[in-house]
Amino acid sequence: MKWGMVIDLQKCTGCGECAAACKLENNVAIVEAKESEMGRTMLWMDMLTIYEGEYPRLRVRQIPRPCMHCDHPPCTKVCPVRATYINEEGIVAQIYPQCIGCRYCMAACPYTVKSFNWYKPEWPPGMDRATNPDVSVRPVGVVEKCTFCVHRLQMAKEQAKFEARDLREGDFQPACADSCPTGAIVFGDLENATHQVNRLAHSPRATKLLEDLGTEPKVIYLKEVD
Amino acid sequence: MERVSASPHPDAALLRPIENPGRSFYYIVGALLIIISYTGFVYIRQLWFGLGVTGMAQPVTWGFYIINFVFFIGISHAGTLISAILRLSKAEWRRPITRMAEVITAIVLAIGGLHPIIDLGRPDRMLHLFYNGRLQSPLLWDVASITAYFTASTIYLYIPMIPDIAILRDRGVKPRWLYEFLSWGWQGTERQHKVLDRAMNILMVMVIPIAVSVHTIISYIFAMTVQPGWHSTIFGPYFVVGAIFSGIAAILVLMIVFRKVFRLEGYLKHIHFNYLSILLLIMSIIWFYFTFSEYLTGFYGHEPNEMRVFWYKFAGDFAPYFWAMIALNFALPVAILCNRKTRTIPGILIASISVIIGMWLERLIIVVPSLANPRLPYPTGIYIPSHTEWMLFIGGISVFILGYMIFARFFPVISIWEIEEGRQESAKIVTERINSYMPDPEPSAAGE
Amino acid sequence: MNKKTIEALQILSISLIWLLFTGIAVWIVSLIRESLRLHDAPDASVGISIVAIPVFFTLAAILTYVFIGLRKGRKEETEP
Repeated sequence: MKWGMVIDLQKCTGCGECAAACKLENNVAIVEAKESEMGRTMLWMDMLTIYEGEYPRLRVRQIPRPCMHCDHPPCTKVCPVRATYINEEGIVAQIYPQCIGCRYCMAACPYTVKSFNWYKPEWPPGMDRATNPDVSVRPVGVVEKCTFCVHRLQMAKEQAKFEARDLREGDFQPACADSCPTGAIVFGDLENATHQVNRLAHSPRATKLLEDLGTEPKVIYLKEVD
Repeated sequence: MERVSASPHPDAALLRPIENPGRSFYYIVGALLIIISYTGFVYIRQLWFGLGVTGMAQPVTWGFYIINFVFFIGISHAGTLISAILRLSKAEWRRPITRMAEVITAIVLAIGGLHPIIDLGRPDRMLHLFYNGRLQSPLLWDVASITAYFTASTIYLYIPMIPDIAILRDRGVKPRWLYEFLSWGWQGTERQHKVLDRAMNILMVMVIPIAVSVHTIISYIFAMTVQPGWHSTIFGPYFVVGAIFSGIAAILVLMIVFRKVFRLEGYLKHIHFNYLSILLLIMSIIWFYFTFSEYLTGFYGHEPNEMRVFWYKFAGDFAPYFWAMIALNFALPVAILCNRKTRTIPGILIASISVIIGMWLERLIIVVPSLANPRLPYPTGIYIPSHTEWMLFIGGISVFILGYMIFARFFPVISIWEIEEGRQESAKIVTERINSYMPDPEPSAAGE
Repeated sequence: MNKKTIEALQILSISLIWLLFTGIAVWIVSLIRESLRLHDAPDASVGISIVAIPVFFTLAAILTYVFIGLRKGRKEETEP
């Protein structure tokens, strides 16, 4: 079982719904405006702005960028305490109580996907009661990143066990895939031939970010057609 | 103030700082303690609020703390070069310098070794490094190698100090129990000298590979990632060369300061400064060679991400720091030290301070630009160090000065027994050595 | 402080150093065992760590050698 994601750039409108849904689902802290200007915004799912061409034929688009969950992660190699590691199902996980906040993984990630809790996370009044009870709130001083909503995987597995069956394709969807209005984000088991991701991953439009680095990311982008 | 032993000693100047420290010592220590207390307060504030009080952010998640970590540990190579290599090569001019150099190493390693802890987001979880350390991480190799270097250099500082501690003990200097405790019953007998010599011989050989490994492993923290500007095979030797370079500059500054403050003109003579500054000049040229190779290969390969970092350093936001580094590390020292007329003590002081600043800039230029230019299309990172980081930097330097002053208050900064040994034996040893170099005499004609 | 106390403190300090270095060796061995279990460390780092352990013990041995050697080399106070 290898969880992976396909993002179809033809269908993606750059609306940013995935980024918002991810923040709400995973209790990602909201930082103050001053902090955000410094570059401390915490976005597990970020929108990359890509400029193509030159004026007057300039194209700007935004593409979603979660954690790539690489099969050869540069971040796990450098963690001195195994607070980030890759599990058997291919998810690069974070162990928040283990992290000592050395930020080496942040420096090593070529995709710059990791966020850090520079201060104790706080929410505006009222929003602190809207946090997701299934996801732990991280303390100050630890690194965090997209986990492919692994808490949903836990719940789906428990549900499947309770019902004495295997996991089905639709059982486990991260918040971004769930919320995408155009269905551009497809998620599933890359090794299971019945899953849609498996088929899409082999599409002739499939490409990966920074493929030449050998990180083997499991987030595959489908290039636009026109 | 109680007068200790009134008997004059041929090296009275070396004992004076210990036996008669003077009032200014206490004033300076007081001032340093004030700075260090404020630094402590600032650090506690960082512990309370989190690393948000620094200027770090995405993508520049490493800043002053890592820069100063590399910088301080780099300076520690002073001890190894002077002490171990000069002792190994039997250079007689090393005698007044070895102790000063070894003390720099010990103090600066302690300060540098604490910096990664200051940098941690969760220092309260530091013990995880010991319970669940991961051997594949270069940071962990660092913990092991810095521990090894610190212990080795402290032992290498302590063992040659034993005869001097015995001198202080015999002169009845207070606190007596300290010198009794540390002198290990030294009496200067021949057997004891043999033991000491053997131990020093082993240590001076052992310390060199440990020292080389320490800074190489620190460079691996950067070189083992795939980031542009970091993933370079030259980093290991480059860092070691830079460390030796900054170490020599540090010891030169210290020599000049002590010469003035303790009136050691009789011990630290022009020739010592001459030789060391020529070494500094050579290291400057070697450093420049490594820097040139590093950037030329990057430029020639023209890999796009590598080039972004390159231009950021050469012509972008970091250009002032980069060119200042080249000027301070290479242009200025070479200009001053090449010419005998300018290779005076003031000239050497300027060149050394310039190198120290330049080498700090070099660490800045290694750490920040690669982080500020991520591979994916993000806006270029900006790093503005905050008050907290500046204070911890100043605090680190203050701790160094304070540590050194406390050492100089209790122990001689120049090795008295080695100077005495030099007076009595050097000429004989060196004459014998030089005679052994000379070609053997021709067999006499009568023998044919 | 009399001589006996000082001697006791000296021996205590050397014992503490041996204890510390043994602790460091135990730590390095546990690091090696963990990395062999998870099998994700380059073999070179395992090899180098194995070299690191004798370094610490050699340092402690040198210190002990100097301590014992200096005691032995003392002029005997009760010599006739």
